[in-house]
Amino acid sequence: MGTILEVDNVGKHFGGLAAISRLNLAVSEGEILGLIGPNGAGKTTLFNVISGYFPPSAGRILFQGRDVTGMQAHEIVRLGITRTFQASALFMKISVLENVFTGFHLSYATSRWKRLLRSRSARSEEAQLKREALSILEFMGLGPLSGEAAANLPHGHQRILGISMALATHPKLLLLDEPMTGMNPVETENMISLVRQIRDRGITVMLVEHDMKAVMNLCDRVVVLNYGQKIAEGLPREIRENRVVIEAYLGKQGAK
Amino acid sequence: MVNNPYYIHLLIMVGMNAVLAMTFLLLLRTGLITIAIAGFWGVGAYASALLSVKLGLWVWLALPTSAFISAIVGLVIGLLLIKKGGIGFVMLTLVFGFIVVLVFGTFEAFGGYTGIYDIPPPEAIRLPFFGLVEFTSKTPFYYLMLFLVSLVVLVFNAFYASWTGRAWRAIGQGPRLAESLGVSIFQYRLLAFVIAAAAAGLMGSFFAHYYGSIVPATFGPQKTIYVHVYAILGGIEYAFTGPLVGSLVMIVAPELLRIAKEVEPIFTGLLVILLVMFLPDGLLGLIGHSRPSGPAENLSRVARWVKEAFTRGKSASQG
Amino acid sequence: MSMAVVAQLFVDGLAMGLVYVLLASGFNLIVDISGVLFIAYGQFYMIGAYTLYVLMVMLKLPFFVSLAVATIVSALLGGAIYRLVFHRIRAMDRQFLNGIVAAVGLMLLIGQAVLLAFGTASRGVGTAFKGMLKLGGVNLSVEKLVLIALGVAVLLFLHVILQKTNVGRAMRAVSFNPDVSELQGINSNRVYLLAMAIGCGLAGFSGGIMAPIFAVYPEMGAIALLILLVVMLGGIGSMTGAILAGLILGATLSFGQYFFGSGLAQILFFAVVGVILFVRPGGLLGEDTEIQI
Repeated sequence: MGTILEVDNVGKHFGGLAAISRLNLAVSEGEILGLIGPNGAGKTTLFNVISGYFPPSAGRILFQGRDVTGMQAHEIVRLGITRTFQASALFMKISVLENVFTGFHLSYATSRWKRLLRSRSARSEEAQLKREALSILEFMGLGPLSGEAAANLPHGHQRILGISMALATHPKLLLLDEPMTGMNPVETENMISLVRQIRDRGITVMLVEHDMKAVMNLCDRVVVLNYGQKIAEGLPREIRENRVVIEAYLGKQGAK
Repeated sequence: MVNNPYYIHLLIMVGMNAVLAMTFLLLLRTGLITIAIAGFWGVGAYASALLSVKLGLWVWLALPTSAFISAIVGLVIGLLLIKKGGIGFVMLTLVFGFIVVLVFGTFEAFGGYTGIYDIPPPEAIRLPFFGLVEFTSKTPFYYLMLFLVSLVVLVFNAFYASWTGRAWRAIGQGPRLAESLGVSIFQYRLLAFVIAAAAAGLMGSFFAHYYGSIVPATFGPQKTIYVHVYAILGGIEYAFTGPLVGSLVMIVAPELLRIAKEVEPIFTGLLVILLVMFLPDGLLGLIGHSRPSGPAENLSRVARWVKEAFTRGKSASQG
Repeated sequence: MSMAVVAQLFVDGLAMGLVYVLLASGFNLIVDISGVLFIAYGQFYMIGAYTLYVLMVMLKLPFFVSLAVATIVSALLGGAIYRLVFHRIRAMDRQFLNGIVAAVGLMLLIGQAVLLAFGTASRGVGTAFKGMLKLGGVNLSVEKLVLIALGVAVLLFLHVILQKTNVGRAMRAVSFNPDVSELQGINSNRVYLLAMAIGCGLAGFSGGIMAPIFAVYPEMGAIALLILLVVMLGGIGSMTGAILAGLILGATLSFGQYFFGSGLAQILFFAVVGVILFVRPGGLLGEDTEIQI
């Protein structure tokens, strides 16, 4: 399995404050990589840089060997990296199915003009994509809710919908930003199983998460950030026992 | 009433302002508030006037050409302004609105503050079944406006119902989310801006050949604000029926109620204030909707609502 | 170009600029604190001017009394309108757009009412302060100097109110963070009303001091959109910005008019504003924000 994403000496500062600095990491194709660290460690900033929301102040991002540093967000999605958001980012006023459908933006094969004129090929493609949207929803367990307005969904389902939308963009690398926040143990178990199934479909996953049990359970490898720098990297059980990591979370007194 | 040229004129005005209001809603859907509408209206009007007066171009050619010119100006302005987004965009469209009027008024090439006059009406055309149609009375202009409004509605609706419409809505409701799904906010907003400019320019061209003379002051930002009011009073959720209802009520109501000319703005002003205070979702908010519907459905809902209101009124007065 | 001309242009620019500053400050208060994009603002400028006309020309009252009355009338009217109309609109989902609509309605209403009452002809108020002052070989009209003095005085007064009084502090708190201010016991509704009253009062005052210098005419209200632009140029919420922007407008128009003539001067002004807003969309001293529809 090759390296799908390379973060090469990346830094980002806002004004005088460095959110992340001299960050180096590599994500292997097909793995589930966990990104953890105390609040403010720079995890979301790293996601923002990788997904193109803003460019890094220093360093490069390489996706499948290609330099994507500074590319715009929508271009990066086209290349195959899609991210989800911490808070429920959904189109609240439309149905669940319509929300997923938004993700298919890039999949249209029929030309723009044919689509505008609603030619037969455009309409049949739209029908086919609707089927695909439904199948994604069923895969994620939201099948029966496809007609509901997104705003009516309970929190846990909304997070799952967010991920479903991301899946509709056919990503090669999926960045999940705290997918388990606000979920009870049952929902968390469900999410863990879903992420595994997503990986089994050939999608590499990188996730930021605070739920340590889930991280240890789910991730193949873990990277730890603190104060914008990488302080540890390795297998979950290594990280669990890593002194530096424990100190970072609990402060020097907490480390036993 | 139907043959009264003054009422025909009012309906023509309703149609034109409705289209301008539709362009406001088009951009609003993508999350942009524009104060440039009257500016593009003016660009279309002046383009058409100059083409036909100074270059002698056929009016029937000037009409689409002016819409095209307006679209080009929209493209240039859009390329500059849309990246700004937010408040910056709004204010820059306001600046554009001011500059357009000033440019038309300051330079003699555009006729200065006295404007351009002796603008020819559309040339007579021979239509099947109708024979020779000459633009000597208001009626042919009415049908032309009807045609243009229908054209705009058809084109806009085609875009709204297509993937582009979905992308526009997505951008308006959650720009960051839309972008994270691969939608290019800039490109789609630019497209909307150009389409809006073309439609406004088309209306401007019509206006020039209908009135026969144009002055710069007509095309200032103040006009755009009035257009906003037509759209908002109608109901911003309704892309086509909203503007039509809003313009209809504001332009025709004072006439129907036989409000004297001197008092008319006072009446309209009061009406506007009361409407917005008591109908926060616009006039069409009265008929309500639970799911998005197309213009045909909305129109039939309005018709049904009006009919019910009438029968209720009738039975109340009889009972 | 002689010193005399430069001085003249400077004084003119300062006088005009001060009026724009006063108007921009008032508008800033209303937009920033009361949260209304008050397009009808120009009408209060007009009301102030016409009130002065009525009091000075028709009732033959002295200038300062008339000016005070004009200011108070505008302030009271502004406060009343807030309470009657905008207080209710604030509670709506679409308060921003609906507020604009209400303001347009008011603009039509007030504009036509004044037109009906006074007719279309512009009216002169006559100079309140006759004579010219000779300063270092330059002729300056006393009137304009009084205007400048009054304008500066009012601005200083405004500054003191905003910075030193409880009311002013409450206003700044609400402007900064409306929700937190509520929690701290500030009656935000009263603050919104006060901001509107003061803002409209400033407009009326501006109209009052301008009336003797320029004529009084019904289209005075059209200045509202220009003032909006000035406020945006300075940056919403920034008083210093409003001052800066107002002075820039005054100076550009004054000097520009002399060199290029009225039309080009205005185009120049808008081009400059356009460039500034392009480079700094939030205005000279403000920040850029997305608008809530």
